[in-house]
Amino acid sequence: MKALVVNYSVGNIFSISSALKRVGFDVSVDDVNDLVGRDYDLIVFPGVGSFSTVARYVNSNTEILNELRGRGTYFLGICIGMHIMFEYGLEGGFNRGLGWFRGYVDLIRANVKLPHIGWDVVYVDYVDEVNEVIANQYVYFIHSYVAYTVDESYNTYSYYGIKFPALITKGNVVATQFHPEKSGKVGIKFLENLKRWLRR
Amino acid sequence: MTAKRIIPCLDVKWGRVVKGVKFLDLKDKGDPVELASRYEEEGADEIVFLDITASVEGRKTLFNVVRDTANVLSIPLTVGGGLRTLEDISQAFSAGADKVSINTAAVEDKSLIARASKEFGSQSIVVAVDAKRVGDKYVVFIRSGMYNTGLDVRYWVKTVEELGAGEILLTSIDRDGTRLGYDIELTKLVTSLVKVPVIASGGAGKLEDFYEVLYFGGADAALAAGVFHDGVIRIYELKKYLRSRGIEVRL
Repeated sequence: MKALVVNYSVGNIFSISSALKRVGFDVSVDDVNDLVGRDYDLIVFPGVGSFSTVARYVNSNTEILNELRGRGTYFLGICIGMHIMFEYGLEGGFNRGLGWFRGYVDLIRANVKLPHIGWDVVYVDYVDEVNEVIANQYVYFIHSYVAYTVDESYNTYSYYGIKFPALITKGNVVATQFHPEKSGKVGIKFLENLKRWLRR
Repeated sequence: MTAKRIIPCLDVKWGRVVKGVKFLDLKDKGDPVELASRYEEEGADEIVFLDITASVEGRKTLFNVVRDTANVLSIPLTVGGGLRTLEDISQAFSAGADKVSINTAAVEDKSLIARASKEFGSQSIVVAVDAKRVGDKYVVFIRSGMYNTGLDVRYWVKTVEELGAGEILLTSIDRDGTRLGYDIELTKLVTSLVKVPVIASGGAGKLEDFYEVLYFGGADAALAAGVFHDGVIRIYELKKYLRSRGIEVRL
């Protein structure tokens, strides 16, 4: 299975690439240029950079990304890569996202230390094929911003001053607030499971 | 509640792990890649690499070690030591660092903190503060603890927080390598002043020391080196102990 880790030229994309390789993906690292015609099973928006920097990148490729999504290519967004899938974000000013999920991204509005760095437990309302391996497990978070969803459609969440979505699955799009590539054995299991789910 | 983190620190010199007392008298403790993956296996929540060679050649060696380690690790890796420019920091990320720690360069050029956190996100910028008691206050030292900046720790931690540091790695030079316990007073002073997470470092010797710095000191994470390298304390046992005393940890 072929995965593309999108390189927006900021931060560490080594960890996610090496984690995907470890679970058996054939990994390329590139920008989205020239995506059409190449058959990726999974396109990954890594969890590096800020909303404004990633938005600049994504917004200049909206058409192709929407087309691929429409054709059924799978997407995985991690942290900021999840945030960018919402309608807009307020990190570094107002910026539009892809609008694949309804809602927006803003600071964690609670009296807590920021950034939120460390391991927290993920809870699920009901188990599904994607969230089963992380239910009631510790995963690694590192962020100050979270998604405020409009339709509350997520069933997998964690708490840090507020309840926030830890994982959203919608059609062929999977997004995580936590970093599977930094979440130890649980994170690796999550990626293995995701790979199985893509194959079904 | 976010679990309290236990973080083994690997002081790397010319590609080997070393450990000294009060930053001096260094002894070889093994291969960084092997140690890092063993610690992950034992339950470490993150790994910190500090290059203490602090030279251009040393940094190249370090980045190779970081690359090899990042390949086997699936927990976060922080890299520090001798990072002076945005270019250095960018290279550390490219080599596989999840966070970088800056110390001397942050004091010598405060704007580096602001520029780095803007470029890479404040969550990935750790500012290391090496503190030593001088008279009745704590003062910031740089250049591996050799140079007294005269800066009051209280002033400096507030400053780095405002500039965009995402985390503070607070080391007591007086306690480093002594195994006399963390400096709880210093840690409490800093955790009560700032709103960013604080990693306490310097002086871990026994299980109770970790409990005290996490509970009384208010630290979000406890870092140690020697006691882990020498097998005096096993991370898994430590975390079981902390849980038994009511501290939330990831087991």
